Amino acid sequence: MIVCVAVVGHQNNPLYLQSFTEADDALKLHHVVHCSLDVIDERVNNPKRNAPALNETFLGLLYPTENYKVYGYLTNTKVKFIMVTTDLDVKDADARNFFRKFHAAYVDAVSNPFHVPGKKIASRSFGARVSTIVKSFGSGTTA
Amino acid sequence: MDPLRSYLGRLLLEEITPVVMVLTTPLAEAACRKSGLSVVDMLSPFSLFKKIDVPVRTASDQPYRLQMFKIRMVYASDVRKQDYEVADQRIKPVVSEANESALPDLLSDPPQLEDVLSKPEAELCPLWIKKFNRALMRTLSFSEHETFDHPVACLLVVSSKDNEPISKFVDLFNTNQLPSLLNEGIMDPQILKHYLILHDQQDGPQEIAMKILAEMKSTLGLNDCKLLCINSSTEADGVDAENSWLPYIKDFMQDLASNHIIPYMEQKIRVLNQQEMSGLCYFMLDQSRKDAEYCMDSAFSTYLRIGSSGKRNATRCGLWWAEMLKTRGQYREASSVYYRVSNEEPSLHSAVLLEQAACCYVLSKPPMLRKYGFHLVLAGNSYYISDQKQHAVRAYRNALFVYKQHPWSYINDHVHFNVGRWYGVLGIFDVAIKHLLEVIACSHQSLTTQSMFLNDFFHFVQSMGKKFDVYKLQLPVINMPSLRVIYEDHRTYASDADVNVSESIWQELEEEMIPSSSIVRTNWLEKSPDLRKYKDSCVCVVGEAVKVSIELRNPLQIPVAVSCISLICQLSTSLDASSAENSVLTTGAGEDIANTKPAISTFEDDGNNFTVSKLDIVLGGSETKSVQLEVTPKVEGILKLHGIRWTLSDLLVGYQYFEFDTKRKTKKGKRGPRRTLSNTLIVIKGLPKLTGCIDHLPTNAFAGDLRLLKLNLRNHSEYAVKNIKMKLSHPRFVIPGDLSEVDLEFPQCLRKHVQSEISTVSTKRTQGDAKGLLFAFSQDIKIQGGATFSWPIWFHAATPGNFSLYISLYYEMESPSEITYRTLRMHYNIELRVVSGFLAKFKVVEGVVFPSLDVSFAIRMCSSRLKEYIVRMDVLNRTPSESFILHQLSCNDSKWAISTLPLCDSISSIETVSANQSVSCFFKIKDLGTDSCKKAENSSCRSDMLFLSREGNSNTEFDVSRSPITDFHYQERYQQGSLPSLSQMMTYIGFITVQGPRDLLDFILISKAVGGNYSKSEPDVQLLSHHVCHCSAIDQSPIWWFMEGPRTVAHDFSKSYCEANIQLVIHNSGQHNISARVVTYDSVPDKSQTVNMQDSNSNQGGWYDVSLENDIKAISTAKGTHYQKQSSESISPFVWCSLSSAQVELKPDTSTKVPLKVCIFMPGTYNFSNYQLQWKVHSSEVGQVDENQRSGGGQGHPFYVSVLQDAQ
Repeated sequence: MIVCVAVVGHQNNPLYLQSFTEADDALKLHHVVHCSLDVIDERVNNPKRNAPALNETFLGLLYPTENYKVYGYLTNTKVKFIMVTTDLDVKDADARNFFRKFHAAYVDAVSNPFHVPGKKIASRSFGARVSTIVKSFGSGTTA
Repeated sequence: MDPLRSYLGRLLLEEITPVVMVLTTPLAEAACRKSGLSVVDMLSPFSLFKKIDVPVRTASDQPYRLQMFKIRMVYASDVRKQDYEVADQRIKPVVSEANESALPDLLSDPPQLEDVLSKPEAELCPLWIKKFNRALMRTLSFSEHETFDHPVACLLVVSSKDNEPISKFVDLFNTNQLPSLLNEGIMDPQILKHYLILHDQQDGPQEIAMKILAEMKSTLGLNDCKLLCINSSTEADGVDAENSWLPYIKDFMQDLASNHIIPYMEQKIRVLNQQEMSGLCYFMLDQSRKDAEYCMDSAFSTYLRIGSSGKRNATRCGLWWAEMLKTRGQYREASSVYYRVSNEEPSLHSAVLLEQAACCYVLSKPPMLRKYGFHLVLAGNSYYISDQKQHAVRAYRNALFVYKQHPWSYINDHVHFNVGRWYGVLGIFDVAIKHLLEVIACSHQSLTTQSMFLNDFFHFVQSMGKKFDVYKLQLPVINMPSLRVIYEDHRTYASDADVNVSESIWQELEEEMIPSSSIVRTNWLEKSPDLRKYKDSCVCVVGEAVKVSIELRNPLQIPVAVSCISLICQLSTSLDASSAENSVLTTGAGEDIANTKPAISTFEDDGNNFTVSKLDIVLGGSETKSVQLEVTPKVEGILKLHGIRWTLSDLLVGYQYFEFDTKRKTKKGKRGPRRTLSNTLIVIKGLPKLTGCIDHLPTNAFAGDLRLLKLNLRNHSEYAVKNIKMKLSHPRFVIPGDLSEVDLEFPQCLRKHVQSEISTVSTKRTQGDAKGLLFAFSQDIKIQGGATFSWPIWFHAATPGNFSLYISLYYEMESPSEITYRTLRMHYNIELRVVSGFLAKFKVVEGVVFPSLDVSFAIRMCSSRLKEYIVRMDVLNRTPSESFILHQLSCNDSKWAISTLPLCDSISSIETVSANQSVSCFFKIKDLGTDSCKKAENSSCRSDMLFLSREGNSNTEFDVSRSPITDFHYQERYQQGSLPSLSQMMTYIGFITVQGPRDLLDFILISKAVGGNYSKSEPDVQLLSHHVCHCSAIDQSPIWWFMEGPRTVAHDFSKSYCEANIQLVIHNSGQHNISARVVTYDSVPDKSQTVNMQDSNSNQGGWYDVSLENDIKAISTAKGTHYQKQSSESISPFVWCSLSSAQVELKPDTSTKVPLKVCIFMPGTYNFSNYQLQWKVHSSEVGQVDENQRSGGGQGHPFYVSVLQDAQ
């Protein structure tokens, strides 16, 4: 189950952060997302580890905390998508598929002429779309 | 780095070197105590052998030389597994001690990014943490299943003073003092034993000891016994006495190590060949890093897997592991190890471990600051749980900078809040409040969080016990760009909203009314050269409030009470102008004020010089309110507006200085150079001031609404004002009336008076154009001090839509003063939501279709009279619920007479137009000509026509030739004429000259509103006047023609056919010579008749030539004769005789008659319209005439003649 998704701007400023848990752990998830930026920074600055994937947007598993697994994705505009899940064995294909859909939703949201680039995404339709994508995650539809 | 020199290396040397268990007798201890030491203390300094150089042969059978060796001396009583709680008790003081020392640090500012990165490792990881680590590792000393701390040898010490030393030695090893582990068989009881006899030379000659030694050697073994002589005397043997016995100890220890322990261990290791320690060994040998790590990792996991019993080992293993990684510079890995260890430990331990993990993230390359922050926050939480508040605060404080850079406000707020709260718990309220100030304005948090923040904040503020000032308090948020300074110099305003009107609008309006402004300015500036440096400053007047409007926003969802909102001002009188100058310099830049400790108290309300208003408001959740603050100067001088202050919840005072941005100033200068933002105002002597308003000016109205309003002026000063002028921006809607009208009752004042003396229009009024109307009041009108003055104002809602009415009133001071004149500016926004008028369409305003009367006219030339027109008036009521009574229809010019159609009296009965109803009525108008004014006096021929109303008040006729209707009409004519669409709409046929279209006349329809929702709610709506200007006829041509002749002819057809003489009258009303030709033809073309029928629906005029075919039929039927088909196949029952074509010449404005004769063969009713008239302008004048008007023609008008059989 995905507990949190986040969009982080190219200056590492939070643009969107939505948790999907009942519990009051927003602060914790904020911290988890914030910390994973360190890992993203490291991955981006030391690309030699995965040299073949030069244009790869999917950053893979960023780091496993005790309860969560954090996956990352980096767009060409240096906007980061971060997904926090409680599933212990996530298929890479599932994660990629999720981020692909999420990226499409993000592009639509920022294409809104009323969206100010660099400001938080407040679009309700984006939120609704994201929760649909989150719900469909891991339901076996890897297509 | 040499592993041996690293921290871990040293640690390992200290912690897991071979242990020598020491057993002593009390007397031996006592001997040492004389020197202030215990036996262990005495021997320990000599237990490190740096260059022992002993050949050894261990597990691999490979001989090598041991270069360095160290042993630890431990009392047997200490050789026991420590109780966990006891160990814990030992750790706690380490942390608490550091806790106390952390306190002073907490009063300083929290560290910034640069501070943290530049700190050496030692500072990041303070000494006490190392102490803690060691203490934590020691909790595992002498555990059951590992041999790190198991003694490799046993040293038994007996004093030479003991009785029977030999048996003492035996007793020592046999008593219950021995570690339980040894007794339980976990440790090898066949441990290497070494016997030492301790002899204090103060206690007697050495021989006694030698004797005991010899005895020991024989009993306990030759090589295992030693004598150690010490000297407890410090006085007797002088300075070097103390050192004299040190070499002995050294020799003793050397011997013990090299000759006894090492060989013993060598032997043991060869036997045991332990692998447990291989990881550490790898490290110490600085070989095979991977293997070392792997070993540690698997050891750690294995310990964890064992369960609770392995926990301590896991911790120690983890600590070693982390140290090992740190030594190798693998800080990131080290921190994750610390993190893993911390998960297994109670909160206090985990806090320290987490802090170390955080330190490692900073030390890693590149530093991972976010993780540093996160782990510090985690550590802080753990510290707090373990009741180590200082540490908690310290951890959080150190993390603050991580979250400051980017708007991770959620976390930032949490950190600030907790830091603030914990400071509060520690009793450091000022710092607590400082931190809480950062979070109390958090708009993004939930309501509960916000109220929690706010409650804690208020709690600490109350705990402070005094009110204090907070610069730039964020609650409420002051919206600086919304700052407006409203002051009145020579320009005064009826209301504050009027100030927002662009200065250029006012300037344009007042252009021709006020004297050139430059002259005025120099006038009063010349008088006060001291003030020249303030040339660009604004001017305000003593006794008149300077208003500052600014927006306050509550960022929270909780309502907050803000009281005592007031301005921070300074008024320096001209005497201390120099001091004011200084303060200008010091407080020049906005930020400087804040930095140079703002002494708020100096800006306190200076009751002698000025007064400031105080305002209390409650801002609801997320509410923004615009407040208006006032300062009223009492003396002349320089007034400075510094800032704003307020009291939040009666607890603390917030203040903020205004930011008068100089850049913005220049930008604004383009628009209106004189209305810039400035905080410096020159206060000048008191002046008269008028205030004014228009009573009951409707903000929305029916189109056509006509009202009498009153302009009220009031002079608030004690001086009189004179020479009053007024300029109005929209004379189409509002015009000033005459003083005589002020007391009159509306609408009776508009009635036509029997005496026609009031026919002259006020001459002093200069008709305005698009720029407005200038109205000068009579010179003898003065408004005395304290007096009020009223003037009538006419309002006419001319067209629907919104418009802004600007009125500027100019007046001069009677007494000489610095400013010679002032203006009073009034601005009204009027929404004429009701759509009406000639070109009206539906208009939707805010989703409501608003009512209207659409009035339109169609005019057609009369075909049977000269100079007469038939008019159809269409009135459509567009209101959903209103009814209107049509009261009066008037022409603008007395040369026109309106009358009802003679045979159609019913139009007078049309009086009420209900909602959505459309009515049409017909009447005729007659051109009486210019010289026929006399005739107009005739009651039957008037330019006004009343509609009869039920009440019978038909005599209440309104005079359209009087002000204000005629004035408004003038405006309407001007406005409607200037609309190009109007001329396009209208079909001008006649009277068109090269100069442009010429229209016939204007109509004014006066109606009254009766009943309906709107008028009920607003009973003022009484009279509406609709002006429809520039009306002209649809089919206008310069030629009029009609048939004249008998309508009934009696003839005896039995004798002969009938001859009827008729004549065609042709009139030229144009301005050119015209030649006209009449052509008659006998066959009646069918086509024309049918076309007429079909045309009837589309005919714009709404009426058409009535074909009497049916009538003929009816007559025929009535007469009992057979219907004869009126078709071309039958011979026409009448023929034209005399001529078939005639040509006549017509001079302008002349008539001529063409005689015609018809032969009729049988009785009946005939239409003699089968002729055509063609005309054209004389060829000599063609050039002056419009293309369309050069020629024309038409069918004959119907002319019915009944021919009867004369029954003689």
